Amino acid sequence: MSAGFATAPPLPARGEREKTGRPPLVVAGRHRNVEQLVAVDAAAERLGLVPGLALAQARAMHPDLAVVPEDAAADHRQLDELADWCVRYTPLVAIDPPDGILLDISGCAHLFGGEERLVHDLTSRIATAGFTLRAASASTIGAAGAAARFTATTIVPPGAERELLQPLPLAALRLPADTVAALARVGLKRVGDVLGLPRAPLTARFGPQLLRQLDRALGREDEPLSPRLPVAPYVAEQRFAEPIAREEDVLGTAERLAGRLQPLLERRGDGVRCVELMLFRTDGVVRRLAVATSRPLRDPKAIRALFVERLTSLADALDPGFGFDLARLSVIGAEPCPPEQIGLGHDDHAAEIDRLVDRLGARLGSRRVRRPVAQDSHIPELAAGLVPAQAIASTQAGWAEFRHFARAAELCPRPPRLLTRPEPIEAVAAVPDGPPVRFRWRRALHEIIAAQGPERIEGEWWSEDGGPARDYFRVEDRLGGRFWLFRAGLYRLTTTPSWFLHGMFG
Amino acid sequence: MNAAQASDVASLSLPPGDPGGGRLTALRRAIGAMEPTGAAGDGGAVPVGPAPIDGVLGGGLALGCLHEIAAPREAAVAAATAFALALAARGPQRAVVWVAEDFGLAESGVPYGPGLDDLGLAPERLVTVAAAKARDVLWAMEEALCCGGVGAVIGEIRGSRGIDLTASRRLSLAAGRRHNLALLLRTEPGAGASAAVTRWVVGHAPSGPVARATGPPRLALTLARNRRGQLGSWTVEWNRVERCFDLAPAHREPVAEAVVDRPHREAS
Repeated sequence: MSAGFATAPPLPARGEREKTGRPPLVVAGRHRNVEQLVAVDAAAERLGLVPGLALAQARAMHPDLAVVPEDAAADHRQLDELADWCVRYTPLVAIDPPDGILLDISGCAHLFGGEERLVHDLTSRIATAGFTLRAASASTIGAAGAAARFTATTIVPPGAERELLQPLPLAALRLPADTVAALARVGLKRVGDVLGLPRAPLTARFGPQLLRQLDRALGREDEPLSPRLPVAPYVAEQRFAEPIAREEDVLGTAERLAGRLQPLLERRGDGVRCVELMLFRTDGVVRRLAVATSRPLRDPKAIRALFVERLTSLADALDPGFGFDLARLSVIGAEPCPPEQIGLGHDDHAAEIDRLVDRLGARLGSRRVRRPVAQDSHIPELAAGLVPAQAIASTQAGWAEFRHFARAAELCPRPPRLLTRPEPIEAVAAVPDGPPVRFRWRRALHEIIAAQGPERIEGEWWSEDGGPARDYFRVEDRLGGRFWLFRAGLYRLTTTPSWFLHGMFG
Repeated sequence: MNAAQASDVASLSLPPGDPGGGRLTALRRAIGAMEPTGAAGDGGAVPVGPAPIDGVLGGGLALGCLHEIAAPREAAVAAATAFALALAARGPQRAVVWVAEDFGLAESGVPYGPGLDDLGLAPERLVTVAAAKARDVLWAMEEALCCGGVGAVIGEIRGSRGIDLTASRRLSLAAGRRHNLALLLRTEPGAGASAAVTRWVVGHAPSGPVARATGPPRLALTLARNRRGQLGSWTVEWNRVERCFDLAPAHREPVAEAVVDRPHREAS
């Protein structure tokens, strides 16, 4: 396995030639109650300022320092964006805090003409974006990280990890700071000092982590890389010598890539449930468009149609900048897809409904297209809900069981529309257990002439915050409006229960 | 009108010297051939229930056309909703798509499965679409009407502006292609021109007296516009067992009180 490593200090340095006359720039933050330097630029480094120096001391040495406060969250976000962009080389990308990115390039280095050219390509592209970075490639994560952070070598040949690590300080093994301090106290400062010592006393005194990191760096033990984003089972990509910018070109590319994936899917009998198109701009920005479907799809034209809707729904235009030079279609979710059936009338309707749901979801958002489902609860607002239509088929919604239960329990009629939250009303009841005689809702007074009820629905007594018992009434007012109201709680000497309106009948 | 139909009108040749009346009838016939008349023979109809209403409509609400159902005021939109849902339930037995704006769903409530069951609409048939803007509601309605697996589309529009003539024409053309039922649900009666074949105003009506309990719900239907000509007002009652509308008596029964002196009894 070969791993590449890149470190990017938190401060982007502009170009190689710094302008004379500008004061040296440092980033300062508060660590352990001391304001200290977190990062320095090239000019400050030449003046002898290093990260870890106290800010007061640095200012005493150079009064004309320009200080920028540390913003760890923004740094992290920037590192995330950079890691997203690095996905163009390999899907296995992880972040090595505080300022490193790990790429697993085993198996894909040949696509770029070898490891050295890949590292060179990566370094030059990121440097053009304005970052200062050091990159190194080695056979283990530990060796690559140590090489990038502490040495100037870019390629570590397999087998040379031991001689690379020997002169480096123990911090190169990514140990916690107190372990490094404890080792320094007994005089072990370099990796070479630890290499020859007997293993058992080291483990007993300093814990197992020291030797585990050492073994992983030397390749005696495997260290897996946990990628940031899940690896897609099917991926097709296309590079463009001339970057593309037009929408039709993007859609045509999506269709062509889907066409390339189709035989792979057919061989496995899979269909696409969720597919993502990643477009890499020449200047380092990545655009992602994802669409989901209700049933597994394989047809490139259908996938293209969904992307058409998705592009129409983008609030801002696709904004290609100077153009996209890499397009990658990855299938995030795939499911077994039954072979196409032709001619059965009912299935045709269901398939057409699914396609309509997909189109509506691609344009408006999958959460806005929903189906009613029956849920196992006696509380009215929980007994039925709306879930995204792509997630559930209509036959699984549980309505047959609900009808069975409603018949058996002789459930009172329910309103066709329910307010998402019961609205409080002011009601006056003739007797404590009875229906109200008038109520005020949304600033209108309703006089009640007939009522049916109460239907008592208890709260969830088995949970701590189950609500009070509700007495539901179906009432009719003088003009014929019919309402479903409830009283939450019972009249007691000390408390007055409140009345709510939950829905309206036709 | 597409180009072919426009050229038909242009090439309509009238015999010279004809009296004005003949020209007018010929023009009427030509235009009638182009537009959906709302006659039941076109593609089937959804019967409302009571014979007088269906007679006026020519068999029921015609499929393949746009119909407008409005509430007399915003607070009474539940009655119009129930009427629309009952019609959609009795329409073609395919899926029903209900498109509404987010604001409308927050104000009047979201569709509730058990309640839909009571109106005869199986919740498995329903797909609800929540749109952020009125423009998205119209787009979603048109997409749904063009889908063959859809039997009825209910689109909910709030406000008195409603939709303009072009949009309603597009919807009725889309409905005509697949012969499904297009219902436009409005919170206020509209006044402008529309391509809707029938226009209803549906409000609540007090239910008949049944011993101090609520009787079967009643709706006050008013047919405000009908391509076929006749308008009317009826009060219908929802029959929960048979899931259909019956014509309710025009006056509350009994007309006179029982002839017994009961001074403490309240007047009904």
